[in-house]
This record gives sequence, structure tokens and C-alpha cells, in this order.
Amino acid sequence: MPSPPFTRILVANRGEIAVRVIRACESLGIESVVAVSAADRDSLAARLATRAVCIGPAPAAQSYLRPELLITAAQGTQCQAIHPGYGFLSERAQFSRLCAKEGLTFIGPSPEAIEAMGDKLSAVQLAEQAGVPRVPGSGRIEDAADARDFAQRHGFPILIKASAGGGGRGMRIVRREADIAHEIDAAAAEAKAAFGDPSLYVEKFVERARHIEIQVLGDSHGNVVHLGERDCSTQRRHQKLIEEAPSPAIDAKLREELAGAAVRLARRVNYVGAGTVEFVFDADTSRWYFLEMNTRIQVEHPVTEMITGRDLVVEQIRVAAGEPISFKQSEVRFTGHAIECRINAEDATQNFAPRPGRLQTWTAPDGEGIRVDTHCFSGYLIPPYYDSLLAKVITHGADRQQALQRMSAALADLNVTGVPTTAPFHQQVLVHDDFRSAKVTTRWVEETFLPAANAERLAT
Amino acid sequence: MVLTHNDIQSILKIIDAAEHLDEIEIVHGDFRLHVVRNGNGSLGAASEAVAQSAVPTATALKPTALPTKPATQPAAAVPDDVVAIRAPMLGVFYRAPSPGEKPFVEVGQRVRADDTVGLLEVMKLFNSIRAGVDGEVVKILVDNGSMVEFDQALIFVKPGKG
Repeated sequence: MPSPPFTRILVANRGEIAVRVIRACESLGIESVVAVSAADRDSLAARLATRAVCIGPAPAAQSYLRPELLITAAQGTQCQAIHPGYGFLSERAQFSRLCAKEGLTFIGPSPEAIEAMGDKLSAVQLAEQAGVPRVPGSGRIEDAADARDFAQRHGFPILIKASAGGGGRGMRIVRREADIAHEIDAAAAEAKAAFGDPSLYVEKFVERARHIEIQVLGDSHGNVVHLGERDCSTQRRHQKLIEEAPSPAIDAKLREELAGAAVRLARRVNYVGAGTVEFVFDADTSRWYFLEMNTRIQVEHPVTEMITGRDLVVEQIRVAAGEPISFKQSEVRFTGHAIECRINAEDATQNFAPRPGRLQTWTAPDGEGIRVDTHCFSGYLIPPYYDSLLAKVITHGADRQQALQRMSAALADLNVTGVPTTAPFHQQVLVHDDFRSAKVTTRWVEETFLPAANAERLAT
Repeated sequence: MVLTHNDIQSILKIIDAAEHLDEIEIVHGDFRLHVVRNGNGSLGAASEAVAQSAVPTATALKPTALPTKPATQPAAAVPDDVVAIRAPMLGVFYRAPSPGEKPFVEVGQRVRADDTVGLLEVMKLFNSIRAGVDGEVVKILVDNGSMVEFDQALIFVKPGKG
């Protein structure tokens, strides 16, 4: 057995991802110290870790978001590395830089790579240099004729946007040529009123978009591999709810294209660690465009692990220690289909309002092809300070249908009392024809599913 | 009457809108809201804020969510007749202003609420810890130079005017 890459790691996160990282440490023979806020002293992560250290009061701004406390905790407990999980400090270049300065290994990419991808403009430029297309857009347009030219080149619909804009103001979707002139006038007037600047530009509007992302992994020896895609089209207000792999919307050729683009982009920034390149996929034309790159482990990484059999968190830790990725691209095999449902402490019938509270009962499903990543247990008090994610239920099957069947069975076996969860919402989505036939786009939950579900509830 | 989140938001809005108001303290039953405007973020201000937050922890307020089975530093049992001075944040605890100097306090020494009893270092930034209570130091629970966690008991003081 090779010696562990580190002897002790500080886990700078909470909830299910802290538990996930602690388990990865255990499998590598590494001791874990979890930094907890006062509200998380009795959390599952605190119980499972080799040691827990209370770094501050409950609000994240006074605990999980304080780089200096985390670094002091790591040094005070003789940790060599810090795993930031997702959210909190995971994509703060400054934190990565501070770790290095203090002699600690940040388990993630270099500050330069985080910065390059964190800045939207720089990310898009790098993508273009790497030959990764972004959603076509114009420069500033002078009149309706410019917009017409653009639409002729890229097709309808187009989106008119205010140069000075934001928050949806001055934005107009135009679906046919006859509407261009008056929509331009209206958008310019709105932009002038809202921002004092009437200048406009146009973008190709992807009416039926799917969200498809590629998992990449890089090491400090110049290797970059991909582990296929995840389809996260089932979203509400840009929050992912259900993720699956492989995507039911693309074929092997498109997969190669997307993966090739993601790997090129990762190479461009000498990417070390686990990262995700996100794309907008046009379900009508099968064209795809770069959206952004996330420089951390993602919530939905388990679906990739289920179809590849690779442990992404273990690989993150190894490559952070300077080891090469433990497998080659040619050794990555995709087996079957996996799906993940995020179980949140929210009431889907009340506009997904968060409902923290005490879990009277928590019994997670178990069985063939079922994995549950969670920090919950019976009697656990869900604190109101953080996000409402309780668990990720992941199922794997020989094909999509079997994975879906197993998910329905698993959710039926999830027994939670004390707080409402989004499990009933997932059950309804899983049996919906649109979902089963993979017609779901990123606005489907809000525009199709929820209006119908709400109308039905009112009628009964 | 119970103050809701919205009530507090309204109070903060009113304070924010007031032009000539720098500091206000509102006490309502067990509830205490202390708002200071225009904190300039300097080292002095940071130590000041720390010193203030040390006061309530050192007196009557116990942490709200005492774990049934604490996974972090086992909470030292606090005898009934003493008050624990607790760490206002995680950091490295020092008993003296600098190495080789005399400690701020020793067992048996009388302290006043405003007295500094130790320092807490977080990445080269030193915060003073105030006693928060008048009385006699009866026990020092933490070694010089060791890391302490948020809210960890550092020193026991037997309250009372000498």
C-alpha cells in the first residue's frame, strides 16, 4: 500500500460534502479535522472526523467564510492541506493564495486558474482562444438593420439586451423579423429610462436549452482527462434539482465534441484538480455554447462516480499532493446510467420555502444501485443559517429506465418526519412524460411543470 | 411580545436612515441589540468589537445550542460560583503581552471587567480578551500558546468586589 498523500487534512466545509470528504480521507488513511461553526458542533461531520474544531459562531460570515480562522485551525491542528468542498471559500483565489503562503496545500486549482475562470470576461476569452464557442452575440447595434443582419446569420429567436443592463431590464426576446423594429425601439427606451443609456446589443436566444456539463480532472504532470457529461436540465431559478449521466440528449459524437472542448479549456489554464465546464445545449439545433467553468468539486459529482467507478474526491486529494491522476483517459469506461435527486428541507407547494427544524425521523433508502450522500440522522436539528440540502439520493441502473425505477423506489423508502422535503416533488417529476422522454429544458420546471402542478392542487 | 426577524430588519432600517446616530443599544427582555455605525475596520476597531462580544459570553449568556454529546473540545464543567471567560473566536491563546513578559493575570489575582486577561492571535492579528466581570481569578484552564476554539472556557473568575 503506498503511503497516504497527506497525514492530516482540514475540512473547511459542512453538511453532506464535509462527510463526503471525511470518508475520502478515511479511505486514503488520512486523518481529518473538520472546522465547524457553533451550530454544527454536533453535526455528523463533527462526529465522524478524527477531530472537530469550533471556529466561530453560527453565521457563515463569522465562521466558514473566514480564511484566517480556517488557516489558524489547520495550523493549530498540524494539518498539511485544506479541502474547501463546494460553496463557501472553494472558489476564492485569495484563499488558495493565502493557504500557499502559510505552507498549506489548497485542495483545488491554482489561484491563477480560479481567477481566470472566476472572471466571466476572461473565461469567455480563454474559451474562444481554446476554440470553445460561446453564445453568439453582436457588438453594439445602431439600428434594426443591424439586428436583422444578426438574426439572418444566427437565426431566430434573438435576445435584445441593454449594454448597461442587468436584472432583465431592457431585455426583449424577438421571434420573427416583423417584430424587430418596434422591439428595438421599446428596448432602447426602457434601457434609457433604466440606465440612462439606450445602447443595445443582441444575442442568439436558446429557447429550449439543456444544461450539460463535462467533468474534468487535471494533475501537475500535465495530464487532463474528462469523465463524461452530466445533464442538469431539471432546474428551478438556476438551481439544479435533478442531475443525470449520461445525458439523454446527446450521442457519442456530441459527447466527444463537448469533452474535447472542456479538456482544451482546462489545459489552457494548466488545470490541477477536479473541475466542471458547463455548456448551454440547444435542444432544437444540437449546437452548444460555453457557459462557465466551476473550479471545485460539484454537488452532483456522484452521478459521474456511479457510471465511471472513479472516486473524484480521492483523485482531488491525490493530485493536490502532486501525484498523477490514477488512471488514463483510455481507462475511463461508462457503465449504465445514474441519476441524482437533491433532497432539500423545502416545501415545494409553498414556492420551495426553506423549512429548517428538527428531523424527528430520518431513514435513508438502501439497496442495490442506491447511494445516499447525507449528513442527516434522526434527531438532527437543521440549522437555519445555511443551505437547505439534506441529502443527495443517487441511483444507478443498467439503463436510464432502471435508474429511474430505482430512484422512485428509493424515494418511496426515504422516511423523513419533522420537516417537509422536496422528495414528493421529485416523485412527480420522475413519472412525468416530459421527463421520461427527456424533453425537459432549463425552464421546464417553472414554465410547464409547476403551473400545472399548482393548478391541479388548487382544483382538488 | 416576541421580536421577529422583520422587526429587527425594520429597526436596522430606521437606524440606517437616521443621520446623526452612531451607536444604539436596545434592550427588550432578554433581547439586546447593539448597533455601531461606521466601524472603520482598523485593528483597534477589531479588538474593540472583540472585547465587547467577550462581555456577554463571560457573564450570564450560555451558548444557545449546547450539544448533548459535544464533538468539539469537551466543555469544561463550570462550577456554580464562578464565571468562565470564553474565547470570542478561534485562535492561539497567549497569557502575556509578549514572550518573557509577566502574564496578564495569575491565579489569586483580582480583576476588573475591563482588564485584559489574555491575547488571542489569528494569523498575526492580536485581539485582547477582557475579563468581562469583576472578581478573583481562580483557575486558568489553557496553556500559553495553545490553540483554543470559539467559545472555549479559558479562565474561571469568582465574581465579587474585593
